[in-house]
This record gives sequence, C-alpha cells and structure tokens, in this order.
Amino acid sequence: MSTPDTNDTSASTQTSESTTHFGFKQVDTSQKVNMVKDVFQSVAAKYDIMNDLMSFGVHRLWKRYTIDCSGVRAGHKVLDLAGGTGDLTAKFSRIVGESGQVVLADINDAMLKVGRDKLRDKGIVGNVQYVQANAEALPFPDNSFDIITIAFGLRNVTDKDKALASMYRVLKPAGRLLVLEFSKPTNDMLNKAYDMYSFHLLPKIGQLVANDADSYQYLAESIRMHPEQEVLKTMMETAGFEQTTYHNLTGGIVALHRGFKF
Amino acid sequence: MPFAQLMTSGIELAMNQLLKLDEDSQQRLKKLSGKSLQVTIKELPWPLLFSFSEQIDVRAVMPSDKDLEPTTETVDCLIELNLETLPKLRDSSQLTQLIQQKQLNLVGDIYVAQTFSALLKDLDIDWEEQLSGYTGDVVAHQTFASMRTLFDTAKTQIEQGAIELGERLTQSDSIAVKPSEMFEFSKNVSELRSDTERLSARLALLEQAKKADTGLNN
Ligand SMILES: C[S@@+](CC[C@H](N)C(=O)[O-])C[C@H]1O[C@@H](n2cnc3c(N)ncnc32)[C@H](O)[C@@H]1O
Repeated sequence: MSTPDTNDTSASTQTSESTTHFGFKQVDTSQKVNMVKDVFQSVAAKYDIMNDLMSFGVHRLWKRYTIDCSGVRAGHKVLDLAGGTGDLTAKFSRIVGESGQVVLADINDAMLKVGRDKLRDKGIVGNVQYVQANAEALPFPDNSFDIITIAFGLRNVTDKDKALASMYRVLKPAGRLLVLEFSKPTNDMLNKAYDMYSFHLLPKIGQLVANDADSYQYLAESIRMHPEQEVLKTMMETAGFEQTTYHNLTGGIVALHRGFKF
Repeated sequence: MPFAQLMTSGIELAMNQLLKLDEDSQQRLKKLSGKSLQVTIKELPWPLLFSFSEQIDVRAVMPSDKDLEPTTETVDCLIELNLETLPKLRDSSQLTQLIQQKQLNLVGDIYVAQTFSALLKDLDIDWEEQLSGYTGDVVAHQTFASMRTLFDTAKTQIEQGAIELGERLTQSDSIAVKPSEMFEFSKNVSELRSDTERLSARLALLEQAKKADTGLNN
C-alpha cells in the first residue's frame, strides 16, 4: 500500500493551523465550510439525478449494503448524518416504524429542503426529524442514537477527527457508526480508469446535466483527497470506536467502514 | 457489485409493484405493519429480512452480522426452509402441516408468516383492466384471452423446467448439459416461440380490425 500523502494523515485533514484542502486547492480552514456549502447549494436540485448518472445507479446498492450492515430494527433511533436528500432516511424510517425515530441532519438547508420535500412526497412523515447541523459539533445529547450513518459526507467535512469524536459522543453504548465513502480502488487498472472517469468525464457530465462543472470537479478532487481505507480505520479507532472494520465495494471505489461504541 | 443487494432490490421492487396493482392489498398489508419476518432459504447465501410498513422492504442479512444472530427479540418471526418448500408457502393453511413434516422451521409469531403468505397468494390483479388503460377495452379483452392460453402453456413448461432444474441442482455431480436435455430445452423454446408468434399474429389482426372499425366510425 502506498503511503498516504501529507494531506491524508490520520491526525487531521488540516495541513496547518489555518489552511486546509478544498479539493486540490488550499484554502483558509474557516472558509471551507462555506465553500462546501456553496457546492451543495448549487447541486441540490439536480443531486439525485446526478447520483444515478455518475454511478450508473450503483449508489443505490451501496446504500442498501450500508443499511443491511446497520442491523437496524423497529424502535431504533437513527442519525442519518450529512443525509442530504434522504435516501437512507427513507428506508430507515419505514424499518424503525412508529416506535423508532430517524434524524436527517445536514449542514446545508438547500439539501435538507430537497430531502424533506422528497420524503413527504413519498409519504414519509411522522418519525423523521430534520436538523441543520455541522457534523463537527452535533447538537444532540450524549448517548442518543443506536445507529449513525454518514454516506458520502465525511470527505466534505473540514475537521474529520472532530466530527468522528462528535459522532462517538452522541452514539449510545453498543451503538454503531457506518461510514460509506469513496475510497481507493484496490486494483491499479481500475484506479487509473476511475481517475480518467472522475477527472475527465465527471465534470463534463456535471456541466451537461447540472450546468456546473466546477462543483463536480470539486467532487472528483475531494474523493481523491479523502483518507484511504486503512487511514480512515485508524482515525475511527483514535476517536474511540472499537471492532472497526471496513468492506470494499465495487473494487474499492467505495468502502463501508463500521465501528462500535462499547 | 454488491450482488445480495442487487437481488434484494429486485425482489423488493417486484413485490411492491405487484402490491400496487391490487388496490385491496394495502388493507391486507396493514395487518403486518411494523412486523418483520426473516426467511432463511438453505440454498441461498444470505437470509432475507422482510420489514412491513406501507410497503415491503427487503434486506439481506450480511454474514458480518453473524455475531448478531437475530432472535425473536429482533425479528417477529423466523422461518427456515429449502428452495423446494418455497412454492408450498403460497398456501398459508399448509404452514402447520409443513412444520409438522419438518419441512419448515418456524420460530416466533406464526401469524406473521401466515399473513405474509396470504398477502402474496391473494393478490388479485386485474391485468385486463391494467392493459385497457393503454389499448381500449376490446383489444385488452381479446389479448387476454390469447395471453391466458399462452400463459397456461408457458406455466406448464416453466414448472416442468423448475422441477428438472431443482433435481439437477440437488445432484452434486455434473452440471454440464446433456444432449437430450439440450434437445428438450430447444423443443420447449421453439414451442414457446411458435405460441408467441401465433399471439403476435393475432394481435396484428386485432389491430387491423380496430383500425377498420374506427375508420368506419369516422
Ligand atoms: C454527497 S452528499 C451526500 C448526501 C446523502 N448522504 C447521499 O448519500 O445521497 C454530502 C452531504 O454532506 C453535507 N455536508 C457537508 N459538510 C457537512 C458537515 N460539516 N456537516 C454536515 N453535513 C455536511 C452536504 O451538505 C451534502 O448534503
């Protein structure tokens, strides 16, 4: 395995006190939150269709896999963090039923709004709460949730260690965290093909469908900058998670990390 | 590619689409609302977990969760059976008999298994009605008369095929196709093809007739 470059070290994703990466660019740490916000503000309306296009629909299977590994059942309290347009929330809501609860939390109100409208249209009301929140400082009491999922969200967070610690805090003992995120393809050929795809094709699709090549360029870059499998595993352990494991999906294009709080 | 999830999403989609076509099914589904049923089919690598709400959600229980084996505390009903027994579940009145014959293991609330089986068995979909939305009543009716004949033939053939496949799967020796089987298969296919051709010829006739009809009315 190659050594992760300096930006991917486990201690922090920040390169120094005051700057951090935004895709491949260096920006002020204080600015990143707003820049990420702008990206998702601008992609919100076309987000779902782009997801299907970019992943050929396979993101739905990755999300199903995450739910299958969550052990969720009726009565559970679930936090779908960086939940965006609510794909995971919809399924969780039906499974936890009336006695359970799902909190869809996202830093971006545009994404939350698209999510809320979509879920209401699907008839999902009652056991879902919508909360605008930053993953780094979750506004929930300690030991609140049986399950936390963060799907394709962690790579956008400025201080990932802080976010993981915050998730650990609000998770109930015996609860579990599932991180679904782009990762590093295990096969060199696949890695190259995937780079071609994400740096050349993806921004073009973004331009064509969402008229927004920049945001999709950022997505491609942020995927590349995200800590790879082993590094993220170590970061979770540092935050206190136990029995931490990961499972590569679609050749490591995506990985699901899982950890427990005991 | 997560194959288990590909499979469960297919099953889920098919079941919910079928339920949508039968208005009364919602009423029957309500009886199961909030319940869950885990089905272990011995030939499949993953147990299937069904959760009921205003729709059916289907999950695969992943092997990494073996440490968290479900119990009746987490699932309302657990059943375990062979692929061969699966079709027999369509008759919910047979459940107790299957348990007695040890063809089916059941732990937990038998009502959940019975209601689920009845839900699928009692699906009453008016296909003719569905089609008439697109083609008009007469064509729909005629088509269905022909389709029924075709389906009956196909059903017999498929059932026959399934029995043979079942036998073959349980025999652990060669899975290579024998010439006689290949011959039988080709024969079935060509029978099916000629049935289909007959049906499409009939459809073409009907269409012509319909055109002539509307022509006269104008
Ligand atoms: C790629 S989307 C994923 C949405 C959804 N989970 C899915 O899988 O379809 C990433 C989401 O993360 C949110 N996000 C980014 N930074 C965040 C933070 N610091 N705290 C909470 N959410 C954040 C964005 O607003 C966006 O909705």
